[in-house]
Amino acid sequence: MRRFDLQQYVVYLGFLAIFLFFAITLSDDGFLTSRNLSNIVLQTAPATIMAIGLVFVLSAGEIDLSFGSIVAVSALSAAVVMQDHSMLAGILAGLGAGLAIGWFNGFLVAFLHLPSFLVTLATLGLFAGVARTMTDLRSIPVVNDGFTGFFGSGALAGVPSLVWWTLGAIIIGHIVYRESRFGAHVIATGDNPRAAQVSGIKVPRIRLAVLMISGGCAGLAGLLYAGRLQAAKYTLGESDLMTVIAAVIVGGTALNGGKGSVIGALVGSLLMGMLNNGLILMGLAVSDQMIVRGLIILTAVAVSLRDVNR
Amino acid sequence: MRFKTLITTLSAALLLSGGIVGAQTVGPQGESATPSSTVTVSDDKVASLKAGNYKAALLWHDQSDFVNAVTAGATDEFTRLGIEVVATTSAGFDAAKQRSDIETALAKKPNIILSLPLDPVTSAAAFKEAKDNGVKLVFLSNLPKDYKHPSDYAAIVTDDLFQMGKQAADALAKAMGGKGTVGWIFHDAAYYVTNQRDNAFKTTIEKDYPDIKIVAEQGISDPARAEDIANAMLLKNPDIGGIYVTWAGPAEGVLSALRSNGNKTTKIVTLDLSEPIALDMVKGGNVAAIVADEAYELGRAMAAAGARALAGEETPPFVVAPALAVTADTVLEGWMKSLHRDAPASVMKAKQ
Repeated sequence: MRRFDLQQYVVYLGFLAIFLFFAITLSDDGFLTSRNLSNIVLQTAPATIMAIGLVFVLSAGEIDLSFGSIVAVSALSAAVVMQDHSMLAGILAGLGAGLAIGWFNGFLVAFLHLPSFLVTLATLGLFAGVARTMTDLRSIPVVNDGFTGFFGSGALAGVPSLVWWTLGAIIIGHIVYRESRFGAHVIATGDNPRAAQVSGIKVPRIRLAVLMISGGCAGLAGLLYAGRLQAAKYTLGESDLMTVIAAVIVGGTALNGGKGSVIGALVGSLLMGMLNNGLILMGLAVSDQMIVRGLIILTAVAVSLRDVNR
Repeated sequence: MRFKTLITTLSAALLLSGGIVGAQTVGPQGESATPSSTVTVSDDKVASLKAGNYKAALLWHDQSDFVNAVTAGATDEFTRLGIEVVATTSAGFDAAKQRSDIETALAKKPNIILSLPLDPVTSAAAFKEAKDNGVKLVFLSNLPKDYKHPSDYAAIVTDDLFQMGKQAADALAKAMGGKGTVGWIFHDAAYYVTNQRDNAFKTTIEKDYPDIKIVAEQGISDPARAEDIANAMLLKNPDIGGIYVTWAGPAEGVLSALRSNGNKTTKIVTLDLSEPIALDMVKGGNVAAIVADEAYELGRAMAAAGARALAGEETPPFVVAPALAVTADTVLEGWMKSLHRDAPASVMKAKQ
């Protein structure tokens, strides 16, 4: 138990160390301005939401590689529907697309007993293709002010809507993961599926559910991107796969199931955003930014995984 | 000079073409082109610019040789004008990342931003804050939707895209002796830069070379699939005389397909310098010519346009940097002129 706690702290300590480093070295470069700090939270909001979904999937001993494509399909569905219909129809289309693809992944994994790695690798390509076909590679503008305010540029009580979404998703995710029976079943399934089955947990149903949660989270992330960019494009989410997996793993979720943290995933995601931000403000050349970011992630993953696999 | 004809014939060309596929390079909104060589900062403005302690950010779409050369041209010009480059980013073709990069760079309060907006629709919102803060925006090739010159941006600078496609057609036709069959591998996406170049090639072949027929047309969106596409094209047209490939990345795949088919006769022409493509050309392989742009000059002109706007001088809305057809004979000079550095060692060695 003590070792578990220590490993849980790694992401927080790493976050703190990197924050302090940037705060000191970039004190004259605007890093600590409230504008810049809120930028980091806003920029990472979609990735954080995807990360929450992935915590559930990984904890159940499965993986979802397709969420990036789900983001694009969801954002495009919402944007296309909103060209002729209401904001509510757009939201339903976006979330519905995410949940439906999640169900499709989950059905193949849970009931046809196919490995989630291969299923979602295939659907990653499949739905990337669907996203490209949907609008013939065109970007679709989102001109519904209600939608862009609600999901992107708006604010409630002076706090940007993307922060509210992040907060809400983290609180719900954390409670479901830590406090509910369902969360316990997810962890038990990932820890030892056979034991979970024997103890009465409906393992296939859990597998279906976690992939639907991941699909739903990716769908929501797609809506947030569409709101923030005031447009949807097939490339949305394409580059998030590695960032989100790294955020989740650094945040203390085990790749092989049975262990995870929603709060850790949030901090991991903020850590990734802060790295992007700070390395740009340091004025590094683009290649150097990539090298330094890679080295830091490698260090963080090495430290946080060492205990898990011991 | 070619550009003068370009400008004088432009209105007629626009009328004929409806402004979409012009006989010359026109801006995203049908703007007429100004040669980059005329966009300069005069010596008497240099002192006042230096005194301003201005800052610039370079927010690129991706990383490549081309971007490096544009960056070098821009940085050298900014250095001459005493303007500090405070941030450089690459969005990796991700519109969301580009939006984040802009927000991040604004924390450093740049006075000038040079950028290639990834997409007219998504970038309109992304650059809004920078625009509203009075940052002088100089765009590479693309324009955010509904942005107006000069209130919203200082200039768009791009390659002479029509000339690039036309020179590719001329070079391929020359290599084929003015007759034969051609395959056209074009970029299958709504992307202004490649669309203009690809269509200029096609238009030129169809109009200027009656004895050359385009017998195969194939779009490509993923460069990794170029080899498959070329294999299919060769299967259907085994004696095809030449292939145009939309840019150098997929051309490498086409070259590999020709080699594995033992084909030594089909000529390739493509756009943008690349070491493997240039090496094949110098060694007398399938590649007949590479058409490049003067990327360093393009970067210089972008920086100069931004600085002119800061100094309160007029800037032309749409500026083009010249195109350059490079063959085995001119590869060393071409490399220097385009990318402002020596040709790769392998190419130099093969030339000796």
